[in-house]
Amino acid sequence: MIPSPEGRPEETDLELITRWKAGDSRAATRLVGRHSQALARFAASAGERDGIEELVQDTFVRAFASLDSFRGASTLRTWLFTIERRLMLDRRRAERRSRETVPVEESDHVSEYGALDGLIAEEAQERVRKSLDALSPTQREVFTLRVQQGLSYKEIAEVVGSTEGAARVHYHNALKTVKEFLKDE
Amino acid sequence: MNKCTSSDIQEMLPDLLHRTLADDARKRVEAHVATCESCQEDLDVLRTVKTAAVFAPSIDIDTVVRQIPPYRTIVPAIERPTSTRVVSWLVAASLALVVLGGGSVLMIQSKGSRASNSTPYTQVQKPVATGLETKLSPPESVVVPRTVVPVVAPSPHALALAADADGLSDGSLVQLMNDMDGFDALPGSEPDPVISVDSGDSL
Repeated sequence: MIPSPEGRPEETDLELITRWKAGDSRAATRLVGRHSQALARFAASAGERDGIEELVQDTFVRAFASLDSFRGASTLRTWLFTIERRLMLDRRRAERRSRETVPVEESDHVSEYGALDGLIAEEAQERVRKSLDALSPTQREVFTLRVQQGLSYKEIAEVVGSTEGAARVHYHNALKTVKEFLKDE
Repeated sequence: MNKCTSSDIQEMLPDLLHRTLADDARKRVEAHVATCESCQEDLDVLRTVKTAAVFAPSIDIDTVVRQIPPYRTIVPAIERPTSTRVVSWLVAASLALVVLGGGSVLMIQSKGSRASNSTPYTQVQKPVATGLETKLSPPESVVVPRTVVPVVAPSPHALALAADADGLSDGSLVQLMNDMDGFDALPGSEPDPVISVDSGDSL
């Protein structure tokens, strides 16, 4: 057990999983509450703009449906990031296919930029967003997982399906790009 | 500004931000950052990126939890999805069809081969008795389609070995036996010989 800020012993993810399997639905609520915002932040940092709530929901539904395959070799959060990333890739593939078949209307551009303007209000956030946009998709994932989520290289490699060494290289290249971008702004 | 050469310290800067370092490691990193401009700059960038996290909507936990079915209803679906069961039945049905169909075809073929073995070909022995014919072609067994074998009536000079003796009348059989007694060897049932044996001067 991990001590909670209130001093009460806080149950680990594995203990909550065991309780949920035993029929305690409150354990699921605790697990979702513990990880949902991190998943939403990761999705937003990875460039998802619409449907983040649905994405997080789908991630949990899939994760709970296959909890028997979770052995606890990694942390539950890392495992959830892995599932969410796969869902994001599926979404992007589907969007790419629909873009190939359906012509993009002028109004789509307007609404997309309008939504973005609403999402990122402050100047610092805008600068960070632009600097992250300058990264490759993998660099961006690795960098945000390392800086915003605090994952280790081992965990990042697991999420993005790479090696620790490759994750480290992506991180340093991303840091260099972001630093130069923020310096020039 | 000099570039920092302490790569192990640089690696730990994000962990310092997330307060995941052990006490001794944290003190070592903090002491280094206090004197290293390059690491201070890196830490400022990382702090900016971390605090200016891209907007993420607030997730309604109850809505998510409502979508999660209880464990007992999920497990059977994982162990034995409906689609797998349907596929299994389809595979079983296909195998049954293949076995039945193959069996039927084999039965038909075996019947057909039995019928064909009794009719299509007749082995015919070439003549072996006449001296001139022996010189022209060595005695051998040849297989010829029965349809091209001319049906010849029994004659005093020829005897069809494969001819159907059942079709002969008693008188004909007696005649045939008498003729056979008069020959040294049995002639074939072929049509009239290509080389006339009567002339004798063709060689």
